[in-house]
Amino acid sequence: MIIATDRLSKWYGHVSGLNDVTVALPEGITGLLGPNGAGKSTFMKIVTGQLRPSAGSVRVFGEPIWGNAAQYHRLGFCPEQDAFYEHMTGREWLEALARLHGMDNATATASAGRALETVDLIDVADRKIGGFSKGMRQRVKLAQAIVHDPALLILDEPLSGMDPIMRRRTIRLIKDWGRAGKSVVVSSHILHEIEAMTANIVLMHNGRIVAEGDVHQIRGLIDEHPHRVWIRADDPHAVARHLLAGDEVSSVRFEEGAVVVETPKPDAFYSRLTRIAASGEAGAIEEVTSPDDNLQAVFTYLVKQ
Amino acid sequence: MRDPVVAPARRMFELALGEMLWGRRAVFMVLAAGAPILLAVVMRLAFATGSAEFIVNGNRIDIESMFGTAISLLYLRFIVPALGVFYGSALIADEIEDRTITYLFVRPMARGAIVLGKYLAYLVCVIAIVLPSAALVFFIMVPLAGMGTLIDMLVRDLGRIALGLAAYGAVFLCAGVSLKRPLVGGLIFVFGWEPVAQVLPGYLRRLTIAYYLQAGAVGVAVLIAVSVAAVALAMRTIEQREYILEQ
Repeated sequence: MIIATDRLSKWYGHVSGLNDVTVALPEGITGLLGPNGAGKSTFMKIVTGQLRPSAGSVRVFGEPIWGNAAQYHRLGFCPEQDAFYEHMTGREWLEALARLHGMDNATATASAGRALETVDLIDVADRKIGGFSKGMRQRVKLAQAIVHDPALLILDEPLSGMDPIMRRRTIRLIKDWGRAGKSVVVSSHILHEIEAMTANIVLMHNGRIVAEGDVHQIRGLIDEHPHRVWIRADDPHAVARHLLAGDEVSSVRFEEGAVVVETPKPDAFYSRLTRIAASGEAGAIEEVTSPDDNLQAVFTYLVKQ
Repeated sequence: MRDPVVAPARRMFELALGEMLWGRRAVFMVLAAGAPILLAVVMRLAFATGSAEFIVNGNRIDIESMFGTAISLLYLRFIVPALGVFYGSALIADEIEDRTITYLFVRPMARGAIVLGKYLAYLVCVIAIVLPSAALVFFIMVPLAGMGTLIDMLVRDLGRIALGLAAYGAVFLCAGVSLKRPLVGGLIFVFGWEPVAQVLPGYLRRLTIAYYLQAGAVGVAVLIAVSVAAVALAMRTIEQREYILEQ
């Protein structure tokens, strides 16, 4: 395991930031999901040794992180905050930070150039960071995290503020890092972003981990959760009547030109619906969508528990 | 880890030196060093043209004495403590306030190296600017004929200025590492407590840096000890303290 925590808690005075978190993050890419205030950033700050646990323990690469400066040879961190040495150019900043890793000037220059190239900033490397757009600032922040080629990257909301194209490129970049053998822990409050990077997720809410594991396993956790399906049909009432003849549907409500049903047995329900559609007994069924089929629904459901 | 302090402190020093020169407080340093030079030029012209003379208790003050007063009042009582407070307290506190400290904390070096490197950068920077300023004031104010006998005084004064910069900077660096709003407390200390303590009877004046700047060899020893102890305390504090950055 790359990161392991045991009953980890963090309190800010009377406010709980993390609450009894025990988790083991494997190698590869792990997505940390949760709404704002879920405890993702607190978790990342503890894992990167900036905050000390109030209770419990954390180990990175099997060693403690607090006060263990040698760990930062293997760890890169991209923080959430938009804070920089504004008067420095991207290249100057990265070179200076690379030197703090013990690199000589030539190596620092080469490493900074490589990192800037990786995040597509090499063309503006000699511009002051103060003049960078939000997306460029995000990318130069990513560059400082990889300038020393760490084995583990901790990225706190790295896609925030990026335009869709850069967002897609950054997602690809993170996946490439994962394929190259690096481990990445990346946080977001937007599920489809994480879904695009990895299937291995940890869901956080109110300082706790509410679910963890493979996306499909997490979906399995909500088997008992009523599955909502929206069906647009020529005759929604006829569709509802046919569905209610079985025991797969727990509730029905109507919207204009559509029926919305809830089912605790999604697999059986979809089989029945397919049969109804194929028979044509209830008229044409034009569109079937299920908000529960995407990760957002899984997330919303789980964090409500 | 091999050498977690000295080599990283040197690298931090290089980074911090640039920050000192380009930081938002650089203007203050330029003003602090430049204003006395301007004042010296004006006074020298006034003396040279005979358009002004300074009289205290009926006695005419010569230009040499004026230089001594300038060093004492302008530099040791104002510029040196002010620079110590403004820069010393900002060395770490600004990084925390700007939330850039994160980038330094996730590097493979002891946190104490950040403090040490920044302090040394401060010291080199202020000494490189303030000492030439004071020397220039001397050469502007003191006539060429009288310089020979006063050079010793100049060297002594430059030494006191350097020691003052070291001590004030170290004390307020320590405050900046430990306190959330170190600047206000620092200003109260140097411009409130220190002048008051100087005129209070008893030993209270010994609780000031200003006192030891006038206290000869013992003062030098105390100021060096205070500087070393304050930097060491700051290094220890930053190693143990966690900083919760405001979002």
